Amino acid sequence: MTQRLTLYRQIALFPVSAALLAFQIALLQILATSQWHHFAYLVISIALLGFGVAGTALALARGWILARASLLLPLLLCACAVTLAGSLSFIESLFGSFDSYLLFVNPGEALRLAVSALTLMLPFTCGALAIGIIFTSGAEQIGSHYFANMLGSGIGCALGLAGLANLPATLLPPLCGLLALLSAVALLPGSKRSVRGCVLLSLAGVTLFLFVRPGITLSQYKDLRKTLDLPGAEIIVEEPSTFGQLHIVTAPVLRSATALSLLWLGEMPSSPAVFINGDMLGSIPSVIGRKNPMNATTSALPFALASPERILVLNAGTAQHVALALGHGAEEIVAVESHRVLLRELFKLASEQNASVFTSERVTWHSEASRTWLARDTTRYDLIMLPDIGSSGGNAGLFALHEQPLLTKQALQQAWQKLTPGGYLSVTTWIDYPARSPLRLLATLVELLEETGAEPTEHIAALRSWGTLTFCIKKTPLDSDEIAAARNFAERWAFDTALLTGIADAKRDYYNQLQDTSLLELIDATLLKERRQALYRDYPFRIVPTSDDRPFFSQFLRWSRIDLLLEQFGQRTVPFIELGVLVAGLAALILTVLAVILVLLPLVRLSGEPGSRFRTLLFFGGLGVGYMWVELAMIHRFEFYIGQPVYSAALVVAVLLIGSALGSMLTEQFSNEKPQRFTTLAFIVLTTYVLTLGPILQSTIHFSLFSRVALAIAVLIPAALIMGMPFPLGIRLLNRTSRNEIPWAWGINGCLSVVGAAFATLIAVETGYSILLLLAAGAYFLASLFGLRCTVKDDG
Amino acid sequence: MLKAYSDLHRPLVILLAFLLAFPVSITATDQRAEERAAMVTEQIIARGIKDSTTLAALRSVPRHVFVPAAQRPYAYQDRPLPIGYGQTISQPFMVAYMTELINPGPGRKVLEIGTGSGYQAAILAAAGAEVFSIEIIPQLAEAAGKRLAALGYGGVALRVADGYYGWAEQAPFDAIIVTAAAEFIPPPLLEQLAEGGLIVIPVGSPYYVQTLMLVQKREGKPYSTSLMPVRFVPFTRTSE
Repeated sequence: MTQRLTLYRQIALFPVSAALLAFQIALLQILATSQWHHFAYLVISIALLGFGVAGTALALARGWILARASLLLPLLLCACAVTLAGSLSFIESLFGSFDSYLLFVNPGEALRLAVSALTLMLPFTCGALAIGIIFTSGAEQIGSHYFANMLGSGIGCALGLAGLANLPATLLPPLCGLLALLSAVALLPGSKRSVRGCVLLSLAGVTLFLFVRPGITLSQYKDLRKTLDLPGAEIIVEEPSTFGQLHIVTAPVLRSATALSLLWLGEMPSSPAVFINGDMLGSIPSVIGRKNPMNATTSALPFALASPERILVLNAGTAQHVALALGHGAEEIVAVESHRVLLRELFKLASEQNASVFTSERVTWHSEASRTWLARDTTRYDLIMLPDIGSSGGNAGLFALHEQPLLTKQALQQAWQKLTPGGYLSVTTWIDYPARSPLRLLATLVELLEETGAEPTEHIAALRSWGTLTFCIKKTPLDSDEIAAARNFAERWAFDTALLTGIADAKRDYYNQLQDTSLLELIDATLLKERRQALYRDYPFRIVPTSDDRPFFSQFLRWSRIDLLLEQFGQRTVPFIELGVLVAGLAALILTVLAVILVLLPLVRLSGEPGSRFRTLLFFGGLGVGYMWVELAMIHRFEFYIGQPVYSAALVVAVLLIGSALGSMLTEQFSNEKPQRFTTLAFIVLTTYVLTLGPILQSTIHFSLFSRVALAIAVLIPAALIMGMPFPLGIRLLNRTSRNEIPWAWGINGCLSVVGAAFATLIAVETGYSILLLLAAGAYFLASLFGLRCTVKDDG
Repeated sequence: MLKAYSDLHRPLVILLAFLLAFPVSITATDQRAEERAAMVTEQIIARGIKDSTTLAALRSVPRHVFVPAAQRPYAYQDRPLPIGYGQTISQPFMVAYMTELINPGPGRKVLEIGTGSGYQAAILAAAGAEVFSIEIIPQLAEAAGKRLAALGYGGVALRVADGYYGWAEQAPFDAIIVTAAAEFIPPPLLEQLAEGGLIVIPVGSPYYVQTLMLVQKREGKPYSTSLMPVRFVPFTRTSE
C-alpha cells in the first residue's frame, strides 16, 4: 500500500468516527424524547453491536473484502452516510405505530422494536466495516489509525453535544451523514468514476434528508403528548438542550399541587407545565402567598414550625418550593438548578409575565448541580429544602437505575453541616406501596441524627397526607411550641402525624387511613437501631441508606428475596419488579446472546491453535470491557466534581478518547513493545485511582471551575494515555503472528465494549462504582496475564 | 351534552342502530359471552368481589365493544388495554372493585370523571345507577357516546368538559369515580359529594400497579382511606 493511500485512509477515519459518535448522542435524545427512555437505551445498545457484526463479517470474509478494499471502502462510507441520515426517518414511519409503552400489552410491538434496532444497526455496521478494513489492511500503521479513530470519536462527542445545544435534534442525523460522507470524499483521489458517481448520489440523498425530515413522533403515553391532547394546549417554549429537549406548555386545564389537602377550598389556578425530553418535570407556580395551594400540602410543614429567613432550595426545578418560601416571607432564598436552558427560559418567561418567583430580589439563582453546590458553598441556612421524591402511586421502578446524588447519606451530612444551629432540613416523598421510599429516607435521616449523637425522635416531625409524607428534621430538639405548631398545622389541613414527640396513636391514622397500617409500624421500627438493623436484613426490599458510591435511591429490589416477594404478591401483580432494572437486565441478556454469536461465528473460519484464539479473546475482550467500565466509573466520579452532569460526562469521555488517541500515536515510537506492559501499567494506575481519587477530588472541590477542569484533565490523562496503547500494540503483534485474527480481535473488542456498558450499571447497583473501577482494573490485569503468554509464544 | 335516545321507542331504535352500525359486534357479543363469564369467575369472583349487582353488570356488558379493533382479542384478559390518546380501559378487576366499592344501584347518582372508552359508565348504568360522565378529550367522548347509545346505555349523560369543575347542576352525587390519575382531588368534586358519599380514585399507572383511594364525606369533612391491592396481604409479617 502506498504512503499516500495510507494517509488518505487515515484521514477518512477521522470524520466517520466523529459522525458515528455524534449520531449516538443525537439518537439517544431523539428516542428518549419520543419513547420511553429505557427503550432508547436498549435500541441503541443493540444498534452498537453493528461494530461486532462488522468484525464478524470481516473475519469471515477477510480475503474477499481486503482484495476489494479500494472499491468497498468508499461504498461502505457512502452507505454509512446515507443510513446515518435516513435510518431514523425510516424507523420514524414505524415508530408512528410503534410504542415502547405498549411492549408489555402488545406482543407485536417487540417485532417493531427489533426491526427498529436492526435498522439503526446499519449505519454502525457500514461505518465500522470501513474502519475495520482500514485497521486490518494497515495493521502496521495501527497506532496512527487508532489515533485518528479515537480522536475522531472524541471530537464527535463534542460535536454531538454542541449540536444538541444549538440545533433541532432531528437535524443532527443528516448532518452526521454529511460528516461521514467527508470520509468517502477523502478516498476519492484515484478512485473509479462509478465510485465518484456513488458519492455524488449519496450527497444528493443526504442533502435531501436535510430538508425533508420527519419531526419527532411522540408516544401517546409521553407526558408531553398527553398534555398536548388537552383542549387549548399550546407549546410556548421549545428549546434544544444537551440536558434534554425543553418544552413549556400552557393549557387552561393544567393545574398542579402535590397531594393537596382535601380541605383546600381555594382556587386552583392553571399553571404552565415544563417537560424535559417529553417527561413532565413540574409546573411553574402561578400564585405566591396565601392563595398558593402548596400551602395546603405537607411540603409546607417547615413553615408551620418556624419562619426561616435564609433558605436553600436544591434542585429548584420549576420553583414550586421557591414560591412556597417566598410566600412565607423568607428574606433570602438561594435556589440551585443545574438545567441552564430551563433557567434561562423561565427567566425569559417571567420577564414577559412579571412572575415574581423569578424576578424577586429575595431569590438568587445558581446554575450548578445541587450536590456540587453543597460541597462548595460555605453559607449557613435556616432551612434546606430537598426536592420531592417519587410520583403519585409510585413509578414501578422506572427510575431504579437513576442516580440520585442528593439523597445519599453523604449528601445529607453535607446539608446538615450547612444548617444554622436551629436550622431545619425538609424533604417530601410520595408514599409507595409496599413502603420503600419513606423507609429508606427515614433510615438515612435517623442514621444522620444518630451519628451526631442526637436522639432522632426529639428532632423529627413527619406529617402524612393521602399521598405524601414530609420529614422535617431540626438540628436541635423540637421545642413544645414547634410540636404544638406541627399538630395545629396537621389539624388545619387534615394531615396525620407520622412522627412527633408525644403524639397519640389515634392521630397517626385518622384523616388519611391506611388499610394496611404496616407503614406506621415500619416507621417505628426504623427509629430504633436494633430493629432497624433487623429491618435492613429481613425486609424484602433494600432500604439501607444509599451512598455516593451507590447513589441509586429508587432501587429497592433484592434478588435474594425474590422468592418471598412472589409468595407475598403472587405472580399476577408484580409491582416490585423494577422496570428500570428489568430493561437493563433484558438489554444485557440480549446483548450477551448476540455478542456470543458474533464472537463465536468467525471461529468456523479461523485457523490456528485454539489456545491462541482464547488468548486473543481474553486480551481484546478485556480491553473492551475494561475501557468501558473505566469510562462509566469516571463519569460518575467527576459528575459531583465538575457540577454539570452532561458537561462532566462530555469532559471525561473526550479526555479519555483524545488521551487514548495520543497514547495510540505514541506506540508508533515503540511498535515492538509488549502490549502487556501497558495493560499491567493500566492495572496499577486504575488500582491507584480506586484508592486515591476520592480524597483528591474531595480536597479540591472548593477550587474554581477552571482549576477543577484542569485538575480533572491532569488526573485522567495518564490513564487515558496508557489505556490507548495496548490495543494498537496488540493488533501489531497479531499482524506478525496471527494476521487472520485481526478482524476477529477488533470485533471482540467492539462487542464486549457494548456488553460491558450494559452490565456496568447493574454491577454499580449491586456493588458500587468503586468495585466497578476495581473490576475494570481486573479486566486489564486479565489482559496482562494472557497478553504475556501470547508474547512469550510469539517471541519463541 | 350528548344525551341520546330516551324516547319510548328506544329499544327499537337501539336495535336498528346496532344492526346497521355494528353488524359484526352483535354476533361477536354473543360469541364472547362465555369469555365474559369466565372473566367474571376467574378474575373477579376469585379475587373476592361478591356484590351480585356488580357481577351481573360485568357479565352483561360486552367489554370487547369498548376496545379498539386491534385489542379485541385481548378484551377479556386480566389487563388494561390502550384505547388511544394515552388512555386505557382499566383492568376488569379494577373496574369491578371500584364498582363494588361505591355500591351502585337504582336511585344512586354517580359522577364519573374521565369517560374514556365508556366501559365503566356502562357497568354503572347496567348496575342501575344514574350515571353522569365527563370526558375532556372530545374524540373519546364522541366515540364513547356512540358506543353507549348503540348498546342501550343511552341514559348515561355525557359531557365534554374539564372534570375539575364536576357537574354542579346535577350535584350532589352519591359517588364520584375519578378514573384519570391525579396528584390532587379537585375541591369542587368534594363540594359536590353528598353527605356520606364516596369518591374512588385509582392511584398509579394502569400498566404497572394501581391502588385505590377512597374518600368519604362525614359531617361535611372528607376522610381518605388508602386501600391496598386486594391480592396483597399486610406486609408486616415478614419483617417481624
